Amino acid sequence: MKVRFHRQRPAPADHAGMSRRMFLMTTTLTGVTTACLLGGAGRLSAAALDGGQSATLLRAVQDIYPHPDLLSLAHYQAIVDAVGAGADEDEAKAAALTDGLARLDGLAQSLYGKPYVEVEDPDAREGLLRAFQNEAFFQDVRWTAYFAIYDNKEIWPLFGYEGSSVEHGGYIDRGFSDITFVPQGPTLEERIAQVQQ
Amino acid sequence: MATFDLNNDGVVVIIGSGAGGGTLANELAQKGIDVVVLEAGKRFDLGDIENDEWAMFNKISWLDKRISAGGWHGAVNHPSLPTWIVKGFGGSTIHWAGVSLRYKEYELKTRTTYGEITDANVEDWPIDLDELVPWYEKAELKMGVTGRTTGMPHLPWNNGFRVLAEGCRRTGRKNYNSGPMAINSVERDDRPACQQIGFCMQGCAIGAKWSTMYTELPRAEDTGHCEIRTDAMALMIEHDASGKVTGVVYADAEGNRQRQKARLVCVAGNSIESPRLLLNSASTMFPDGLANSSGQVGRNYMTHATAGCYAVLPEKVHMFRGTAVAGIVGDEVRNDPARGFKGGYTLEFLSLGLPFMAAFLEPGNTGWGRSVARALEQYDRMSGVWVVGEDLAQEQNRITLHDSEVDQYGLPVPIVAKTPHNNDTEMVNHAYEVTAEIYESVGATDVYELPAYPATHNMGTNRMHADPSKGVVNAYGQSHDIANLFVSDGSQFTSSGACNPTLTIVALAIRQAEYIAREMSANNI
Repeated sequence: MKVRFHRQRPAPADHAGMSRRMFLMTTTLTGVTTACLLGGAGRLSAAALDGGQSATLLRAVQDIYPHPDLLSLAHYQAIVDAVGAGADEDEAKAAALTDGLARLDGLAQSLYGKPYVEVEDPDAREGLLRAFQNEAFFQDVRWTAYFAIYDNKEIWPLFGYEGSSVEHGGYIDRGFSDITFVPQGPTLEERIAQVQQ
Repeated sequence: MATFDLNNDGVVVIIGSGAGGGTLANELAQKGIDVVVLEAGKRFDLGDIENDEWAMFNKISWLDKRISAGGWHGAVNHPSLPTWIVKGFGGSTIHWAGVSLRYKEYELKTRTTYGEITDANVEDWPIDLDELVPWYEKAELKMGVTGRTTGMPHLPWNNGFRVLAEGCRRTGRKNYNSGPMAINSVERDDRPACQQIGFCMQGCAIGAKWSTMYTELPRAEDTGHCEIRTDAMALMIEHDASGKVTGVVYADAEGNRQRQKARLVCVAGNSIESPRLLLNSASTMFPDGLANSSGQVGRNYMTHATAGCYAVLPEKVHMFRGTAVAGIVGDEVRNDPARGFKGGYTLEFLSLGLPFMAAFLEPGNTGWGRSVARALEQYDRMSGVWVVGEDLAQEQNRITLHDSEVDQYGLPVPIVAKTPHNNDTEMVNHAYEVTAEIYESVGATDVYELPAYPATHNMGTNRMHADPSKGVVNAYGQSHDIANLFVSDGSQFTSSGACNPTLTIVALAIRQAEYIAREMSANNI
């Protein structure tokens, strides 16, 4: 994807502020999750991951597809749970995941002197993840996140996507041509006239 | 449905049940000619169609092992999915969007029009447009194409296309409309009118879009002259000592090998499987594969010079509401070398659902992160196009067989190599710029440029040529080398044009059926 930032582009969104919000939110949740694990309670399904790595993974899935204004932490936690469940079923996968997350933290330590979850700059965190993007463990997490977010019928309305329509008789009476900022298309009579011999 | 004995050597065997094979089967069966269709995939019906992008992708796509190669991005980003076509009853007519454009005269005469082009293998078709027009009309009537031939009005304009159309108007374009489409705008031919359901490329759930699945194939079966065997993967075409083909060896649903004898064989397995089958049928007599004295079998693989381009508008668009390809812009379909490239391109409004937009916005390992997420949050304000540009034939873009790796049938895996010509790159860059201008004129802010999708338009790998040393088949799709061997799909195309291939495949199949019937009556084949 190449983005053309065109002449009519509005002022850039306050993405730094948005990311900061997200960061604070998840840091808080991280504490909660870790506490649950330490207490032996909670819904953390991954035996393969310790609390620290679960927190790293939770931060990572939010950085892979950051939608702080659309999605809740529960959405991201569900992705962590799915990744963890997958790791629990496959020893090699679990080993690759724990090793990968450890190296992610190692890289964060060497570049920023702190673990990945404590790096505040979202661009810096994305940069750390980019170093691992061609590895299978990362793509496994990424595609799990992809399906959990963008192929998730419960999440679609948050993006304005309405999905299947055949059971409702299609979109013919449900807004297929309802926008008002451009002119209407030709009427039926005009369309018939176009094709007359 | 009729059934024919495996040893019946009077039948025509057609390999594939899509636009080419399905149409040919029905046309021949209607004339009383006995036909056996071998379809590699399952039998589908309307009850199998869902409004779900990934569910349908997994259900109907051709997902047998293939290797994507060459210089295009897909060799890295889609390493095992060079194409996006269907394995099943109806072939890729389940998946196609319905766009039914005709070739322009210059697109059939590319060698004459463009001259010799470095690193390309551009040639003229052995047919001109005047000769094709009556067959196009028959195809349009058969398929129910909106427009003058049928008198069926074009479809109503949906939101996404209205944005594109207004941009076209404001930038001085003239040639944009919601047709011609092989989608019923009124009830016709026992099929209902379009309900603007969307998901056209996941299969039309009500049958408003033409597909051989619920037109040609059941009608062929109803004649009593056509047997369609599904889960029947053709492995090899056999021939006798005189060099005539005698039958087809195929794997049935249980994996057992069967041999169907034949009076003639028509190959319509799409542009990967058709040349692959001819290459896999190599023998002592034909060491380079059947019908390959020219050496052109598998070469000149064309997709289309293509790309996606999505603009973010100031207000909601909800582009997914309604037909997937809701409008066509034809102003750029012309040969104007001053633009920096030969040939032209069509812009076709194309909606993607959120799942596919998220997958194809930036395909491959890099398609995540803040820029992707930000773009997807604008999904409901997007409108965009798919670019269908003329792709030049190049000999080195080709289908070859892997020397050790085999698929589930024990056949060598096909390697599908595609490297864009500089002409393609120039054209696509032009299309990106034009699309951005069009959408900017209606207030677009960001514009996203997407690279080519895995190809649904696959052409050229058994091309037509008047000269047997430069092409595989003649103007009727008949092999130059073997009189009773035909090619009946898009692999016979000599050039790709700037138009979706299905209408031309159907027109050629109707014409080929007339020719086959005539030649069979005359006992020439």
